[in-house]
Amino acid sequence: MAQVAQVLKQFRVQPNSTSLEEARKRTFEFFKLACRSIPSIMEIYTLEDVVHPSQLRASVLAEIRKNAHITNPKVIDLLLFKAMEELKNVVDHSKQRHHIIGQYVVGRQGLEDLAPTDPGTSDYLKKFYNSNYF
Amino acid sequence: MGLSLLASRALRLSRIPSRATQIFLRPIVSTRDLNTPEPATSAAPPPPPPPHRHPVGGARVHFPTPDDAIEVFVDGFAVKIPKGFTVLQACEVAGVDIPRFCYHDRLSIAGNCRMCLVEVEKSPKPVASCAMPALPGMKIKTDTPIAKKAREGVMEFLLMNHPLDCPICDQGGECDLQDQSMAFGSDRGRFTEMKRSVVDKNLGPLVKTVMTRCIQCTRCVRFASEIAGVQDLGMLGRGSGEEIGTYVEKLMTSELSGNVIDICPVGALTSKPFAFKARNWELKGTETIDVTDAVGSNIRIDSRGPEVMRVLPRLNEDINEEWISDKTRFFYDGLKRQRLNDPMIRGPDGRFKTVSWRDALAIVAEVVNQVKPEEIVGVAGKLSDAESMIVLKDFLNKMGSNNIWCEGNGPNPNADLRSGYIMNTSISGLEQADAFLLVGTQPRVEAAMVNARIRKTVRATHAKVGYIGPPTDFNYDHQNLGTSPQTLVEIAEGRHPFSATLANAKNPVIILGAGIFERMDKDAIFTVVNAIAKKHNVVRPDWNGLNTLLINAAQAAALDLGLVPESDRSIESAKFIYLMGADDVSLEKLPNDAFVVYQGHHGDRSVYRANVILPASAFTEKEGTYANTEGCAQTTLPAVPIVGDARDDWKIIRALSEVAGIQLPYDSLGGIRSRIRTVAPNLLEIDERVPATFSNSLRPESSQKIKPEPFGVTVENFYMTDAITRASKIMAQCSALLKK
Repeated sequence: MAQVAQVLKQFRVQPNSTSLEEARKRTFEFFKLACRSIPSIMEIYTLEDVVHPSQLRASVLAEIRKNAHITNPKVIDLLLFKAMEELKNVVDHSKQRHHIIGQYVVGRQGLEDLAPTDPGTSDYLKKFYNSNYF
Repeated sequence: MGLSLLASRALRLSRIPSRATQIFLRPIVSTRDLNTPEPATSAAPPPPPPPHRHPVGGARVHFPTPDDAIEVFVDGFAVKIPKGFTVLQACEVAGVDIPRFCYHDRLSIAGNCRMCLVEVEKSPKPVASCAMPALPGMKIKTDTPIAKKAREGVMEFLLMNHPLDCPICDQGGECDLQDQSMAFGSDRGRFTEMKRSVVDKNLGPLVKTVMTRCIQCTRCVRFASEIAGVQDLGMLGRGSGEEIGTYVEKLMTSELSGNVIDICPVGALTSKPFAFKARNWELKGTETIDVTDAVGSNIRIDSRGPEVMRVLPRLNEDINEEWISDKTRFFYDGLKRQRLNDPMIRGPDGRFKTVSWRDALAIVAEVVNQVKPEEIVGVAGKLSDAESMIVLKDFLNKMGSNNIWCEGNGPNPNADLRSGYIMNTSISGLEQADAFLLVGTQPRVEAAMVNARIRKTVRATHAKVGYIGPPTDFNYDHQNLGTSPQTLVEIAEGRHPFSATLANAKNPVIILGAGIFERMDKDAIFTVVNAIAKKHNVVRPDWNGLNTLLINAAQAAALDLGLVPESDRSIESAKFIYLMGADDVSLEKLPNDAFVVYQGHHGDRSVYRANVILPASAFTEKEGTYANTEGCAQTTLPAVPIVGDARDDWKIIRALSEVAGIQLPYDSLGGIRSRIRTVAPNLLEIDERVPATFSNSLRPESSQKIKPEPFGVTVENFYMTDAITRASKIMAQCSALLKK
């Protein structure tokens, strides 16, 4: 754990990637670093009963995959920098539990699916359960 | 607009003194032009033709006899007015708003504040326009230096003894004295003595008095003796020792006492429950109607955020004129107490548990599908709106039951002839009557505004009032003819002296109380009354004087919609009973294993027996149609948001019908109203009274025998009649202190 924090602490802006290959390598390195920090994140934010490490890993992966279409190494470097900053904030406990839960645990599917669904109900009934004003 | 117009003119004329010597001299009045007022006749240049102005407030002038019209000139502008108008009324027709304190349209003329002074050509002194009859060709000048100086002088005298406590005065912001001293007053006074002070009077739990602020306009005294009909208030002392008060230590015991708060032009009489609660400019006004009785008084609900702060009357000449009863004005604190805010289910231990709407509706739907259709019963409460009643009726009918009624309508209500349950004369029509026969009704407690109208008629035309029922309190002259229906038979047969009064009357009125609906021999009583009506020509093509006075806001609409139960013993065999705000229905005969659903806004009587509570919105929180006792449909508008997780009444039943598997075919108010159009189209004629089509004389004669039991008292306590007023602390105080 301390090792990850050390790496993050010593992180500084690297020179630009010269090629797409290098940017790709850096992305893998970032992903590995994030995966290594997941156990400590679980501990800091007491997420044991909310989420499994593999789900968090999947959500980090999904965030990376979201930008899979980008081929400009400069842009990838920038995104990596932002990602590293975010990871640093998470590991440093600069966030609070609900931030993590909101962004990486339920943020995927959204809250609505947590409520029980009865597929047979009409639009009227759904609105009725929600509020008086419709 | 009138006041501000005059104010701006007054400001334009005032100038700063130009000479330095004037600074050291204390001027007599601030407005220099007024120092040497001269009669306006000497003004040399002829004034330009004045612009055409419209009467104040867009009023229309009614000429009873067109030949009696006279012409007067107001500020050079000719107006035609009927004979008998005062100078002040003539000015109003000409579009000039004269400042006034003591004058009030609906009260007698006192002429003691002198604020309405105007100049009349060829009159040596300014005249008090409110007390001066307008004469043909009179040249009235409202805008001359003499009139202005007179007003300034009156203002100075009034402010001499008026405390400077506007910052802590509840009238601040809506005070006539404040407004008029800004518009017409001087910017300084010359009074250096001590101001006088007056001991405050205790007028009861509703009206707060700060008598030092009183300017002795005597509006409240005149209101009490003329409109409310109580001789509680009066004038004591003379000169600077003059004060308003009750002669002895006594509370003001009138059901209309709250109106003195509105007519008081200063902060001497203010609302006690509203004291120091809010300023009038922070309040949001919602124009709606009152549902605590069947009159449907027009009110304005002033709210701040989610809280109802006060209730004020709204002008409606056909219903409540500009007054409201104390119950209407002060029940609003009941909206904050005992509210139901979450759906609840009674657990096996007898305690209520909060559940979600989903679970509550699921349980009700499960139970309602298990019982037999004839064991399902629905009761609409006295505060229900027409929309939710038709939805409840449709729901029960779809379940296969037709046992639904509205409380207060009694067993076997007659919903066939609309003329049999509404006030056919209409409330304002009562003013044409010259003889009243009140049968089993105490209008003073059942419908205070109708009673005020009867009192107005009796005062104006000395109409005779005959009353059959238990001894009760009237605030006008009446004859107690008897206590039992037997007296009715005597009148019908012409054996009673009052039948001569009815025979001589041109426009006789018979008013039956809604308490008769609960009697077993009500059909016989209606037959006898019909016989009286036929004999004395009470119902004619040009006059319908046969009335029923209802007591609950929901009654008329319920009968219009046909909420008539199949059998009057359905409660004894019920297994599932749906109470939509019904708290006065007797549940003693209900079987112990019956499942009770209570849908309503207050935890009142019926909640003790309920198995499921569905929280609904009160009338201040929803839009709904109500028909009043004269059959005039009016709507409420939401003034404040709902409490907690409550829902509107019709929405709950519509949702329940879907959960129960029999979806109702509408899901908006518009949809429900088109359903109402097929049942009772008169409920959609908002703010317009639809008279009954067929006369009550079509009613078949009953072979029932009249029972000798005397008529009862229908409303025991004027101040507490429904769930909201029973939850109100102010109404409880009134019941304790004012009920005799």
